[in-house]
Amino acid sequence: MSEFRPTLRPALGSKQPVASATFGLSTLPEGTIIHVLARPGEQDVAHLLASLNGSDPHALRPVSPDQWFIVRDAAMPNQEMKGLFAALEPRASGVDQSHGRVRIRIEGKMAQRALSKGTALDLDSSAFPVGQSAVTLIGHIAAHITRVSSDAFEIIVLRGFAESLWDDLTRMGLEFS
Amino acid sequence: MSSYRLPNLGLVSRDTPVSFTFDGKPMQGLQGDTLASALLANGRMLVGRSFKYHRPRGILTAGAAEPNALVTIGHGGRTEPNTRATMQELYEGLEAQSQNRWPSLDFDLGALNGILSPFLGAGFYYKTFMWPAPLWEKLYEPIIRKAAGLGKASYEADPDAYEKSWAHCDLLVIGAGPTGLAAALTAGRAGARVILLDEGSLPGGSLLFETAMIDGKAAAQFARDTSDELRSMPNVRFMMRTTAFGWYDGNVFGAVERVQKHVREPVPSLPVERLWRIATKKALLASGAEERPLVFGGNDRPGVMMASAMRAYLNRYGVAPGRATAIFTTNDSGYTLARDLEAAGVDVAAIVDSRPAAGVDYRGKARLIREAVVCGVTGRKAISAIEVHRGDRTESIAVDALAMAGGFDPIIHLACHRGGRPVWSAEKTAFLAPGSLNGLEVAGGAAATSGLAACLGEGIAQAQAALEGVGLRCPPMDLPKVEGDDAAYSSNPLWSIPGVKDKAFIDFQNDVHLKDIGLAVREGYGHVELAKRYTTTGMATDQGKLSNVNAIGLIAKARGVSPAEVGTTTFRPFYTPVSFGALTGAHAGHHFQPVRKSPLHDWAKKHGAVFVETGLWYRSAWFPKSGERSWRESVEREVLNVRKNAGLCDVSMLGKIELSGSDAAEFLNRVYCNAFLKLPVGKARYGLMLREDGFIYDDGTTSRLAENRFFMTTTTAYAAGVMNHLEFCAQVLWPELDVRLASVTDQWAQMAVAGPKARMILQKIVDDDISDAAFPFLAAKEVSLFGGALHGCLFRISFSGELAYEIAVPAGYGESVADALLDAGKDHGIMPYGVETLSVLRIEKGHVTHNEINGTVVPADLGFGKMVSATKLDFIGKAMLQREGLAASGRPQLVGVVPIDPKHSFRSGSHILAKGAEATLENDEGYVTSSAYSPHVGSTIALALVHNGQSRHGEEVLVWSGLHGESTPARLCHPVFFDPQNERLHV
Repeated sequence: MSEFRPTLRPALGSKQPVASATFGLSTLPEGTIIHVLARPGEQDVAHLLASLNGSDPHALRPVSPDQWFIVRDAAMPNQEMKGLFAALEPRASGVDQSHGRVRIRIEGKMAQRALSKGTALDLDSSAFPVGQSAVTLIGHIAAHITRVSSDAFEIIVLRGFAESLWDDLTRMGLEFS
Repeated sequence: MSSYRLPNLGLVSRDTPVSFTFDGKPMQGLQGDTLASALLANGRMLVGRSFKYHRPRGILTAGAAEPNALVTIGHGGRTEPNTRATMQELYEGLEAQSQNRWPSLDFDLGALNGILSPFLGAGFYYKTFMWPAPLWEKLYEPIIRKAAGLGKASYEADPDAYEKSWAHCDLLVIGAGPTGLAAALTAGRAGARVILLDEGSLPGGSLLFETAMIDGKAAAQFARDTSDELRSMPNVRFMMRTTAFGWYDGNVFGAVERVQKHVREPVPSLPVERLWRIATKKALLASGAEERPLVFGGNDRPGVMMASAMRAYLNRYGVAPGRATAIFTTNDSGYTLARDLEAAGVDVAAIVDSRPAAGVDYRGKARLIREAVVCGVTGRKAISAIEVHRGDRTESIAVDALAMAGGFDPIIHLACHRGGRPVWSAEKTAFLAPGSLNGLEVAGGAAATSGLAACLGEGIAQAQAALEGVGLRCPPMDLPKVEGDDAAYSSNPLWSIPGVKDKAFIDFQNDVHLKDIGLAVREGYGHVELAKRYTTTGMATDQGKLSNVNAIGLIAKARGVSPAEVGTTTFRPFYTPVSFGALTGAHAGHHFQPVRKSPLHDWAKKHGAVFVETGLWYRSAWFPKSGERSWRESVEREVLNVRKNAGLCDVSMLGKIELSGSDAAEFLNRVYCNAFLKLPVGKARYGLMLREDGFIYDDGTTSRLAENRFFMTTTTAYAAGVMNHLEFCAQVLWPELDVRLASVTDQWAQMAVAGPKARMILQKIVDDDISDAAFPFLAAKEVSLFGGALHGCLFRISFSGELAYEIAVPAGYGESVADALLDAGKDHGIMPYGVETLSVLRIEKGHVTHNEINGTVVPADLGFGKMVSATKLDFIGKAMLQREGLAASGRPQLVGVVPIDPKHSFRSGSHILAKGAEATLENDEGYVTSSAYSPHVGSTIALALVHNGQSRHGEEVLVWSGLHGESTPARLCHPVFFDPQNERLHV
């Protein structure tokens, strides 16, 4: 079946984006998410990661001490990813999570208010500025939040919970939609 | 004679009438009314019946402490019983019903209880209904509950939405009265993040009925202007109709916002209530004070009202309490009311002052009776006169309303939610909040400060101090200038009143009166906690807001000690009742709990799968085909097809963990009881993980994909637990090891392809050679698919006992690959199968799951004794596994069970009894852990844990289910029912 070409089924493919003057909810491309785990005691891995230049622009999201997500909109070819993993070793390991995690964008003037219905994080820009990331619960679902601009957040969630989280976020934004 | 609306006073909107009904009778109020003020404006004094004696009750307060005016609002799913009429804003079409009366509020047969009241004092039930004991639940309690009670909840589903939210701030100000407004303004102008909340519909608190002028403006106008300024500040969040109900660790406050409780038809996009959790650096409790009732005979009759409430109805709502009013006071605040009533043209018949002299110079028309008390009233459903006791004389004065002003008790409930106890102040004659509260300060009336100027000043000062505590500087604030302020007042508490004959109520809502407290003390229940439970004072839904201090004062008097010695009961959340809807929030119906979907969920759905909930996962249980009449029929077909051709099963929900690092192999060697250090690259191995106590924790396969990279699978149920366990081991037990753990459960769509034709089918999509020689049993490696279009991992492992593989592909491609496999296998008879078939196949092979790994078994119990490494230096569970009891005779051991007669069956959970033994639990020798109908054996087969089971194969036993009344003769056997030599695995 070498002629067969498998097709990607996005986890949130059936969901319609929400867009109003003050609240927006949309899916982000299921491109690349690489989980980077530094060797215990390793220093300056963040610096190493920041210096990596792939074929497409990427962003770095802190996950926990010595762990990061490399995210980018485009899918990374298998060979390129293997090359990246090799480049990280032995200082760090890379684990492909491109399909295990789904990215959602929530934006607008009321995005912060809507998210506060689910997360205990203080999302005020003074406490959670652009570029800040945190792992938190949104309602009952664990998620990773990054402020990507003054009025926009990126949420990374386990693929299996993506639909439930989307439904929850839609409900949270109902009054602003 | 009754209460009535005055022509031109108050903050209500005179040109906006609002229609509503009370007990079905149409009435009209004004916009800005509460239900209570509207009822009073309509002359409705009698609004409810008391809990125990069914006494007629009127409106006592104008706020949250109301114990009497409890009504049922709405109908159908929106029925809300026990709504305080004093807190319910009036809206067009509001339907209110009185409660606890039959057949009507005016004629209530339950009032017969009043005749029996001499027999119904405190402790009556405990003393009377002791014997015979069984009748308590069957007879006494149902009758008592029917006779006494509050409103009834609806059986219909609530159609409205609720939600929860978090908020964060530098300063939380609780209460938007003069103190709170001044504090919030100070902090807001300083640029702090401020949240100001208040349970009322309008900000201002007492300013809304205050007659003093502030900065040359009416007090209510000052409140409006201040709140307008606060609302204009982006750093201030103003939350009205919001009650802070609890103070919790971390300086987190719970609050409930009544978003749409004041509208007839809630907007669907908004919740009706929202539960807030507010995390703040500092908090200021500016909740004011509650006026203390006076305990005289008939103090609960309609027409008797708290003096401050009477002032609120007069000045805020423009409602006069009656045509002729008396004021019974122990302090100067009564004179302020007298002044306002007279200014509004309401006749004040008398001021009865318990003191020899007042602190104010009263020059009104009312008759002033000093050193006197009101000891009783005349009238049942409305008062017609008061009995005034002075010296040894008692006189009757005709009035239709009576205000009682017994002093003020600071509202300090929240300040005591974290363990602090109120402290009695002899100087203030009130209980005050404990000192040194971490993160919370108390100000204004809540700190027993009286006088408007003093409260405003305290609000400013406390806000400045709080902000300095978090490193923020406040610009100077001018103290507003107050004209007509009341002088600071104080009063000696008047616990007991001479000449009382009728019932004098302490706890209005629970019908606890003066004699009950005396009885409790005499019978040895004088400790405040005992007296509370013996009399039920303070135990109603108002939690004793009006009654607690009087009860304590009377206990103190009866015991001859100070209130300080009696102390208070423990204050706990909630300050006022919070609906279950608010506590539940949005987590109801569709949003009750998240659904975790496999990447193959929709693929299974399109093939007609019936799903079963497994934790949060939805797993495909079986795939019915047309013409099949039962699930058993579908499952038998699937089982037979796997053994004959091939089947495809979604196993994506198995936990998957990727381990990397130079010490990953050593790490695995320590967490599994069997050896992993030398597992070759490209190989999978079954592993048993023990707990520290030696019992089995979880099992699964782990494959070595590269020298320093492993792929572990766990059971579905224990995926998160195993991940946590491994993280603990890595971070706490062996931080010196270089091992990194990543959960990849959701990354992979994993499919079991099982059956004799599995290889033929898989080879069509896998580019690598997977012949038995190239890819033998327990091989594992990354493979290329569809000519390099995709990469995945292939494992030759089998839970079914057949030639089988598990293939993992990136989740987003799962459905496409599953489609391709079905297409590749269509000529080989491939069919999807679900977890029911998976279960039959594994029971036939004697494979265990958490049905057998039930927390009470060690490896040897399941026949895995030889797997436990004898040579490893250490592994988790090694030491405790050596305990002699874990190798002793009588251990539960895994066996197979079959019925003697194949036509007979039995269930999982049934007990195993020795043949001929009596069917009792004492004779239990184990139980059936898993059972299924095996189409290959032709009967029910089962796995069981039976005492010494491994040496009892062939023994006849009885399988007994006492719950179902079933007994089935059966035989113990080897737990592998199919292909015991495992020949089919290696083809």
